[in-house]
Amino acid sequence: MINRRNFLTTVALGTASAAVLAACGQSAPAQTGSASNPVTINYTWWGNDDRAERTRKAIALFESKNPDIKVKGNFSDFAGYWQKRATEAAGGGLPDVMQWDLSYLRDYGQRNQLLDLGTVKINTDAFEKSLLPSGQIKGKTYGIPTSTNAFAVYYDPAKVASLGIAEPDGNWTYAEFNKFLTEVGAKGNGALFGSTDYTGVWWMFNIWLRQNNIEAFTGDGKLGFTKDDMKKWWNLTKDLRGTPAIVSEERTTQLAPKSPFGSNVTATEVTWDNFMAGYLADSGAKELKLVPVPSDDPDNLGLFLKPSMLMVASAKTKYKDAAARFIDFMVNDPEVGQIFKTSRGVPASKTQRDGTTFEGTDKLVVDYEKSIEKYLKDAPEPPIVGFGTLETSFKRISSDLNFGKVTVDGAADAWFKEAEDLIKQNS
Amino acid sequence: MTQSPTLNRRSASSTPPLPRKSRQRGADARAGYTFLLPWLLGFIALTVGPMISSLYLSFTNYNLFDPPKWIGLDNYTTLFQDERFLQSVGVTVSYVVFGTPMKLAAALAIAMLLNSKRKGQGFYRSAFYAPSLIGASVSIAIVWKAMFGDSGPVDQGLSFFGINLGGWVGNPSMTMPMMILLTVWQFGAPMVIFLAGLKQIPADLYEAASMDGAGPVRKFFNITWPMLSPVIFFNLLMETIHAFQIFASAYIISNGEGGPAGSTLFYTLYLYLRGFSDFRMGYASAMAWLLVIVVGIITLIFFRTSKSWVHYSGDSK
Repeated sequence: MINRRNFLTTVALGTASAAVLAACGQSAPAQTGSASNPVTINYTWWGNDDRAERTRKAIALFESKNPDIKVKGNFSDFAGYWQKRATEAAGGGLPDVMQWDLSYLRDYGQRNQLLDLGTVKINTDAFEKSLLPSGQIKGKTYGIPTSTNAFAVYYDPAKVASLGIAEPDGNWTYAEFNKFLTEVGAKGNGALFGSTDYTGVWWMFNIWLRQNNIEAFTGDGKLGFTKDDMKKWWNLTKDLRGTPAIVSEERTTQLAPKSPFGSNVTATEVTWDNFMAGYLADSGAKELKLVPVPSDDPDNLGLFLKPSMLMVASAKTKYKDAAARFIDFMVNDPEVGQIFKTSRGVPASKTQRDGTTFEGTDKLVVDYEKSIEKYLKDAPEPPIVGFGTLETSFKRISSDLNFGKVTVDGAADAWFKEAEDLIKQNS
Repeated sequence: MTQSPTLNRRSASSTPPLPRKSRQRGADARAGYTFLLPWLLGFIALTVGPMISSLYLSFTNYNLFDPPKWIGLDNYTTLFQDERFLQSVGVTVSYVVFGTPMKLAAALAIAMLLNSKRKGQGFYRSAFYAPSLIGASVSIAIVWKAMFGDSGPVDQGLSFFGINLGGWVGNPSMTMPMMILLTVWQFGAPMVIFLAGLKQIPADLYEAASMDGAGPVRKFFNITWPMLSPVIFFNLLMETIHAFQIFASAYIISNGEGGPAGSTLFYTLYLYLRGFSDFRMGYASAMAWLLVIVVGIITLIFFRTSKSWVHYSGDSK
């Protein structure tokens, strides 16, 4: 019958070691793009279906105006996006042109993965001079901002009205904001919740720090705040967690990658103002409104305009000229502005902004950014190397907090341990 | 790794070697290696090479972009102070310990049902094997996520019986049962091997036992189990190793994050996140090697203990 012990041993041991280790090998380089005429450049972005639709239109427009260049598009959601880029960078095959986030600009820029856009022809005459430095590191331009965004509280006026609650005016303290969320939760009857836990949003934490005149990171790449600051922050919603004021983490997980607000599960959400188009498309709501974030100091809202996204090119692209032309087109062309409206944020280039007609909800976003103008402070520099990882762990630990798996003190300890480890690792 | 026993025997019988014969053997060997070459090159380039480089990287601080920095055993020592690492070990071990025996039990039970001579057995065999063909795929993980989500078919089905668990996907204490169900459902591969093993058990053993008045339970423990033990051993080993490496389904169901609350943070998923999200390739390599060593040790333990319960037909026992 069966007495091939040696055979078994070989098969078992061989499979065990080979399969485990093969998983950790480096993937083969996958440089794409053909040399034939017209040249093909790869472009990748993150976002939902709505953005994909708009981007495809913009690409088609670019191709019709530039018959010598073909653009191959590809997109994914935000979390998976950075894992893919890391894999590609390791294999030397980053796409030619990429939509980029401020959080990851240092990671790739300082490590020579991105093209210095100062060496190619991109017109930045129509940009606010104060905005361009956010795409620059040590005098080199790695990213061109497509647009600006600012933090805001979204709400759905129809839902708030149906609960018989007065619409907020955005002139509120954290206590007042919490009261509002609690009221929505109480009257929402299990069908509608106040919001997701806003203390789980890194940038809101950053804004709160600025409201208290604390910088998140020091100039030499260290943390500018203490563990106590972090505990204070996470304690803000201590009494709201586990109540209908905050949608449960179970629910949020189930809905992912869609947001609870986009799924009509919450009445408000605290996030960037350029999510308007995405939320409208996801939720099917007739109208969504924007008001400023809460602050305990009415004169200091801690708000700033951030490049909502940047356009970057791979340092290894074979088609620098084509890549530059595509970036120039995406950030400056008025027709691209017409396609995206405010879904990427308010266009950063004046040429594009003036060439775009903003109506309805898009006008709300533009008006919102105008309304907070007097509160705006300088945008933060590109955050420290590894910031993307810190932002991810901030979100993860906040989620553990809402699952009740960890106390506020434990959460702050856990995050600080990871942050200090990471800063040590990258110094 | 181990030389084939048949080769050993042939070389032993041909002493003293004659010059002509050895030349002949040399030519044979050359032809053999020539045919082996494509596989051998692939094995060296795609498996041995990366293995060696990952061993080296495990002693370095390597962020994918800058050249690796040698840091000795630091990666290995910091592993055990990393709470997320310990969590991933816990998640993986509970998956292996509960998932593997359940999967094998399901495979064996179905194999025994399919072993009897009945009409349409071919159809049933294919039908039961099908899930494991598609089970490892991305699409099934997505289907699974939808099935176990809020108001998904599983939630609704259980509500019908008055069990209100809500969605399993977002509930940290229900994700593990969900992952185990997914692996149990893919019992096809061990089932086919069990079936082949069952077919080789001589029918006269059962006949003799029946004559002596043995019931089905007795027959199972006194005939099926010992006669099948080498196959059970093989399946147990393979499925255990396989279970340690679970990745794709966990990655998809948790959106690549290992959530909710780290309940699907499997070893390989954390390894991947460390390498490709946090750019800690050295750390990830150390994790990979630790897994190899641990799986190797478990394999050895299996082989050692197998002597007491695995029976080979040639053995004196």
